[in-house]
Amino acid sequence: MANAISPPKVLTGRRRVSPAQRRQNLYGYLFLTPWLIGFFGLFVGPGLYSFFLSFTKYDVISSPVFIATRNYVDMFTKDDLFWSSLSRTAYYAIVSVPLTVLGSMFLAILLNTQLRGITVFRTLFFMPSLVPIVASIILFKILLNSDFGLVNTALRGLGMQDPPGWFADSRWSIPSLILVRLWGSLGGTQMIIFLAGLQGIPTELYDAASIDGAGSWHRIRHVTIPLLTPTIFFNTVLGVIGALQTFAAAFIATEGGPNFSTWFFALHIWKQAFDYFNMGYAAALAWFFALVIVALTLLQMRLSKRMVFYMGE
Amino acid sequence: MALNNNTSSIRQRRYVGRIVTYVLLTIAGLFFAIPLLWTISSSLQTWQELRSYVPHFIPETPQWNNYVQVFTLVPFARWMVNSLTIVLINIPGTILTATLTAYAFARFNFVGKNVWFVLLLSTMMIPAIVTFIPQYLLFFNLKFIDTYIPLTLGSWLGGSAFMVFLLRQFIMTIPRELDEAAIVDGANPVRILFSIIMPLMKPALVTVAILQFLADWNDFFGPFIYINTMLKYTAAVGLRTFQTMALEITDPRDHLLMAGAAIMTIPVLALFAVAQRYFVSGVVMSGLKL
Repeated sequence: MANAISPPKVLTGRRRVSPAQRRQNLYGYLFLTPWLIGFFGLFVGPGLYSFFLSFTKYDVISSPVFIATRNYVDMFTKDDLFWSSLSRTAYYAIVSVPLTVLGSMFLAILLNTQLRGITVFRTLFFMPSLVPIVASIILFKILLNSDFGLVNTALRGLGMQDPPGWFADSRWSIPSLILVRLWGSLGGTQMIIFLAGLQGIPTELYDAASIDGAGSWHRIRHVTIPLLTPTIFFNTVLGVIGALQTFAAAFIATEGGPNFSTWFFALHIWKQAFDYFNMGYAAALAWFFALVIVALTLLQMRLSKRMVFYMGE
Repeated sequence: MALNNNTSSIRQRRYVGRIVTYVLLTIAGLFFAIPLLWTISSSLQTWQELRSYVPHFIPETPQWNNYVQVFTLVPFARWMVNSLTIVLINIPGTILTATLTAYAFARFNFVGKNVWFVLLLSTMMIPAIVTFIPQYLLFFNLKFIDTYIPLTLGSWLGGSAFMVFLLRQFIMTIPRELDEAAIVDGANPVRILFSIIMPLMKPALVTVAILQFLADWNDFFGPFIYINTMLKYTAAVGLRTFQTMALEITDPRDHLLMAGAAIMTIPVLALFAVAQRYFVSGVVMSGLKL
């Protein structure tokens, strides 16, 4: 890896580029062209344009009107749904990300044994992650129906007088979304990433730990988990980015309700942009949101330097 | 004697450990399996049966007609074809352009390479919603709304950063000696890519094709925003529409929605059945050493 991105051999002193280097540049940029067009046309350009729009009032029909930082001021001071949607999104991420990361790690550890029938379990665990999000939300809305859903029928059968209202109850709507997320992702890609990580742990380390008298819990605690920290880190970073952007699940399940209880930040941006056509304001919200996500990601990378253990370093 | 005791206790502990593992695996298995089985079961019930006081896991008489109704009440077949169309446009796009990008990063030492690579990876971090609004405005001004262009253009312009990264990692495992031998034979880099590198990339390209299929088949937000005409909907947006649209007959329609959810999931499961190993190989291939 280090070898592949070693610095280009440019003769800096004399400002002359060797023919070989010229060839590298020519072909490098030739093959890069489609991506460069996409990067500037669909990413940088639109990103900058949305940054410009965030300082304007723009309803698509008439041209943008420059209003300086008013959108940014308004979002912090006048928008009732701004802070609440932000904290709701944070609540969803803070609960769902650790549960999915630790849960899928736990399942991977269970599966990383040479027991008979293990492939059947692995396939079964993976299957829900293949169900499209729209399908899984529709399935869980019916499973979790407060009156005749399978879950509440079972809970009543077990003697619970007043089972939760799930999606219909504003206290339970986010936990319901988390439940769908757990079902659809515990056995999915994250678990596979953990399994790959587990298979990379040399067996000698376990043998050494066993000789030192470590039981299975100690082996997990002192060998497996430290060696999985890069995987935990990777899954957490991607998990946070994904969870913060949740749109489809909340929209299809409850359209942000009941009583705004699943009104996540992505829904708020969507509503402002594509329902109210407050494009300028929505762009400001989106930029603010991007900064939050980038800051959180960088923060996690910072923390990881202290907490992640890379083998062979 | 002491040694014997010791080994038998180890064996005993191992036995207990195995039972505990199986119990935990079974609990997790039920958590995953019951909703899947319930989808099939409830999609074959009448709505009255679905709401009966004691749930029926085996439908009294399987209502195969539910599946027929999904196709007759709404243009579900059309929606599936639309999703498939997008998939079939995007797969060759990603395979071609993500490979070109990956090839550039894996094999050439051009000026500015590190900067571009970091920029490529950082696009994974920026939430889609930030670029979505101006992209929408761009496509709106180009009169591309209600066409599949917004949903397919990106895959012809490099595809997603993750796929480029994955392919780059794969190309880097192909020995450079092969390239060098071809150069000696007078092949240029374009030829090397298409006649040496790409044939060797087959497993990676199948993985990318599957990832692209899953992404398009699942995508809700894109078609939801860009497509207005009902006949142009994808299966994901169509199923959502079926959930909420006003229909004179069939309320409640939970049983039909379950049939729709099952229909939409079947192609994914079918693909998984035939290409199982490629679903997981992307993860392993990328090596995950960012």
